[in-house]
Amino acid sequence: MPKNNALKTALKATVRRHSKLTFVLVLAIAASVLTALIPPLVLERAVNQLAARHALPFTLALIYFAFVVLADLAESLQDAAVTVFGQKLTHGMRTLLVQKLSRLPADYFNTHPAGETVSIFTNDGDAIDVLYSDGVISMIADTLKLAAILAVVFTRSKGLGLLLLAATPLLYLFTRWCQRRTRNAQLDNRRAIAKVNRHVPETLSCLRMIRTFHAERFMEKTYDRHIGESYAAVDRSNFIDSIYSPVVLVSQAAVVAVMMIYAARGQTYRAFFGLSVGSAVAMIAYVGQIFAPLENIGMEIQNIQAAAAAVAHINEFLNEGEWVPESLPPADNTDTVFDNVTFGYNPDQPVLKDLSFTLHPGERATFVGRTGAGKSTVFHLLTGLYTPQRGHIYLGGQNSAALKPKDRRTLYGYVPQQFDAVPGTVRDQITLFDPAIDDAAVHKALALTQLDETVNALPKGLGTPMSPDLFSKGQRQLLAIARAVVSDPDILLFDEIAANLDAVTEARISVALNAAAKGRTVLSISHRLSRMSQNGQIIQIEASTFLNKNL
Amino acid sequence: MQNPSRFLKHPDRIASYFKSEVPVLIIVTISGLIYNVGMLAGPYFEGQLAQRLFDIYHHRAVFRDMLTLALAYVAVIGIVQAMRAVKRFGVRRFANNISRDMRRLLYNHLVHPDAETLSGEDTGALLTKAISDVDACAEGLRKFTTEIFDTGVVMIAYFVMLLHYDWRLTLLACAFTPLAYMAADRMKGRVTAANAAYKKSEEQLNTVTLDRIAHAVTYRLFGRESARDAACEAQLSDYEDKSAKANLYASALTPLYDAIAMFGAVMILYFGGRNVAGIGWTAWNIAAFTTFLACFTKLAVKASHASKLFNSVQRASVSWKRIKPLMQDAVEDDFHPDDQPVKSQPLIFQNVACGYTAPDQLSCLSFAAVPGEIIGITGAVASGKSLIGKVLLGEAPYTGTITVGSKPLSTFTPEERLTAFTYMGHEPELLSMSFKDNIALGEPLNPTPYLRAAALERDLDDMHRNADSAVGAGGGLLSGGQQARLALARSLAHARSIVILDDPFSAVDPATEDALFAALKQYAKGRVILLISHRLAHFPECDQVLYLENGTAVCRTHSALMKTEPGYRALVNAQKKGGASDAKK
Repeated sequence: MPKNNALKTALKATVRRHSKLTFVLVLAIAASVLTALIPPLVLERAVNQLAARHALPFTLALIYFAFVVLADLAESLQDAAVTVFGQKLTHGMRTLLVQKLSRLPADYFNTHPAGETVSIFTNDGDAIDVLYSDGVISMIADTLKLAAILAVVFTRSKGLGLLLLAATPLLYLFTRWCQRRTRNAQLDNRRAIAKVNRHVPETLSCLRMIRTFHAERFMEKTYDRHIGESYAAVDRSNFIDSIYSPVVLVSQAAVVAVMMIYAARGQTYRAFFGLSVGSAVAMIAYVGQIFAPLENIGMEIQNIQAAAAAVAHINEFLNEGEWVPESLPPADNTDTVFDNVTFGYNPDQPVLKDLSFTLHPGERATFVGRTGAGKSTVFHLLTGLYTPQRGHIYLGGQNSAALKPKDRRTLYGYVPQQFDAVPGTVRDQITLFDPAIDDAAVHKALALTQLDETVNALPKGLGTPMSPDLFSKGQRQLLAIARAVVSDPDILLFDEIAANLDAVTEARISVALNAAAKGRTVLSISHRLSRMSQNGQIIQIEASTFLNKNL
Repeated sequence: MQNPSRFLKHPDRIASYFKSEVPVLIIVTISGLIYNVGMLAGPYFEGQLAQRLFDIYHHRAVFRDMLTLALAYVAVIGIVQAMRAVKRFGVRRFANNISRDMRRLLYNHLVHPDAETLSGEDTGALLTKAISDVDACAEGLRKFTTEIFDTGVVMIAYFVMLLHYDWRLTLLACAFTPLAYMAADRMKGRVTAANAAYKKSEEQLNTVTLDRIAHAVTYRLFGRESARDAACEAQLSDYEDKSAKANLYASALTPLYDAIAMFGAVMILYFGGRNVAGIGWTAWNIAAFTTFLACFTKLAVKASHASKLFNSVQRASVSWKRIKPLMQDAVEDDFHPDDQPVKSQPLIFQNVACGYTAPDQLSCLSFAAVPGEIIGITGAVASGKSLIGKVLLGEAPYTGTITVGSKPLSTFTPEERLTAFTYMGHEPELLSMSFKDNIALGEPLNPTPYLRAAALERDLDDMHRNADSAVGAGGGLLSGGQQARLALARSLAHARSIVILDDPFSAVDPATEDALFAALKQYAKGRVILLISHRLAHFPECDQVLYLENGTAVCRTHSALMKTEPGYRALVNAQKKGGASDAKK
């Protein structure tokens, strides 16, 4: 697997896909660099004329204005192009992130809290956004502008040009110093903020203890201490932030002063600094223009630092190990088979050892065993979320590791221990946003699970937005069954769906289950022998010993 | 600058924050004024420098004049920029202070929930979210304060300076500046709308992203991943669109406003040129001309940024409105039970009925415990053992009479309750601090005796840790038993007259249990200890045992109960049979 560099990949893709926009962007930057050079030149002319005691013709005034407008327009165009291009780039980057999701192994989602992954998409994505729109491209434009101005300065005054060349590395060093200090302060701040953020949920979870021991003041003091650390770090970073731009501007004044002093020094230096009065005014304007981009770069230090960390996060995410359905041939029958399967989430600690069973179409099996013995693991393997270290697994004749997304819903319906509600309407809960499933099918599934009355009683029926208080716990389990059977699958997988339900609800669900199970292969997990397993195999799952007896 | 024990008065008024920061604001105002007025020095000196160069070329001045002028220029700019640094730092300090004040206040509410919010689970979530809003608010106030100086004051200063040079030309040239502002104002509606659309799209994007990730496994199981990716992609396109639009309004328009304002420059070049040539309204030299033009250019730029001032006010007010309802006066509470003497007082239950929501679970509870006694409380699972502790904490309603010392419990103030009871619950509720801090909770006490009492000293040695070592988040670095014992050590360190220990022996081996009970006996001197447990090995040593069964309780000595209560006898015998194993299993 080659190392992914999100920035490069997204940049290349965007340039390739939006070649016209890229062209406009380059053009706009060039235009804004060049047009920014002109107004001081016109000014030079005007001042030289004034120095010669001539009034200025109105046309010259208009020309000056026209060039100012031109420069503004070009800058506006550049800003627009940078913005649009930056947005396309971040879009490209986020698309890369989204595409990565389908290639991540199921284990990733089980081991990484959703919030953490989301923050890569949102927080880090935003930081990149800032990097593109304010940072990188503007910096390129600024650098070009710097070079162009230096070139013009050299034609007017070699001395000033050299002076600026000498000042630039010093400023660069100063900028680097500021960057380092800022970064350290920000790291400290992030550490402190992490403590602050940890302290709040901790307070919430220990609220009773805090109250019974009256430790509120202690907790507040601790919180104050963490905030104090953050405060001090922010203060340090603010200090750099506060002095950076003033230092740059004082340097600017110093450069101007040195230039003027040498220009006034006498013939020998004047030849070198070669300034007419007009040029002097123009040069002062240019010096300002040179320092402005330098100052901008400094201002963006914080954003760029944050973005660099974000890029690292994103690259790390994109380089997570991947999972792809293998292309393995199906079996020549439609049996559901575990053939000597050995599997452990950690390969060194197998959960299942040499497990074998076979189910012909229409048969039923119930997996029983202690919690943690690996019953749900059997389902994870059957559905191809995980692949075994040894052995073969077929689900309805299909190789589990090679299941294609489009075949899944017609092959099997999976009912998990807990219903996973998705944002959307009640209809979406059942279709999972599949437009191919029409309302007739949805109603059929609801009728089968005895939910039709409940749903019809909702204010907007199927179109009612889903919310947790709409359905009871038992009804949510029924919804999960409806979601599984709506696509009329050959096989049903039930994972301890009656584990935490009261007797009445359980009875209701088992009626629905029996209705749903008609004519289908049914595999269920249960910690107690339920009605479901009255006929069929009982497959006992226990750490490393297996009994498989036909009842 | 630190003053950790004080809170703001009227924290729901924005003015309070400004008021509390008066010293910083004074510094900001002084340095801000000097800086912004000093900003004029740049254009002024640049004009003078050009003029001096002109004079030297025409032999009306000598090199030394230029030298002094140039040095003065650097010195003045140095002072002005130093003021700027002070102002910038001051404004940031101001925002930093406000952020800290607001956070502290919010935390104060978090840690002192009032009775009605205590039941609401989402209060915590609300406050957690609010704390993140604080940053936006402080940032808004900072920008607002910055812009007041950098835009407001500076514009006025420039304008006055221009008037000073040539009032007619100033009015003529500046006639175009309001146009720039008006153009900006006209666009404001659209800018706001574009921003709102952008924010909305961002929110939707976050929802879609969260949905895609949080339900990733479900979508995979049902073969819906690519369809959900498509939904994400559609939202991404929408977001790109809206975000580009909002950003375009924010950035690309500014140069255009500048262009409008700069039309005034035409006037300056023409009429100002006439001034210099001696045929205008005022007689100017080159210095005046250059200064005027430079000054005007800067004014135009500032004017085109004027909308920033309004934007920052608007942004800050949005987040302020969100957190304002939470900004109530802080709870200032200097009471601490550990400062009160521990009184030896008896605990008497007379015909008490109680329950978690209504007094309907246990009834006819009567017993009396005198200082120095350990009362064992037990019963089958779900017999209501924990309820007795909750009643004393005031978390469960009761009828009948409970007397502590000579006072009925119903007349206790919260402070009296804190002074009378120490409670150790099922959950260890440990803080991610050191052993010492978890025990001392900020009090100046030596943790060693309590670590010893809770039989933790050996554990520390085995783990190569000491009292200052961290216990991990929620005590995560310790085993369940160690966590429970640390919680016990904490309870002993703060033990009041009546100590309620709910199941302190669960997850503890028999030998440790012996040690813990021995320690309890020592701490029982002058106190009443209510020992709620299902581990009965030491119940024979308890002074009395309260046995709960069928919604009521009998209180006798262990040996009496063994004779009269077959249920209790069964519990004790069952545990003896299984050695010291857990009765629950």
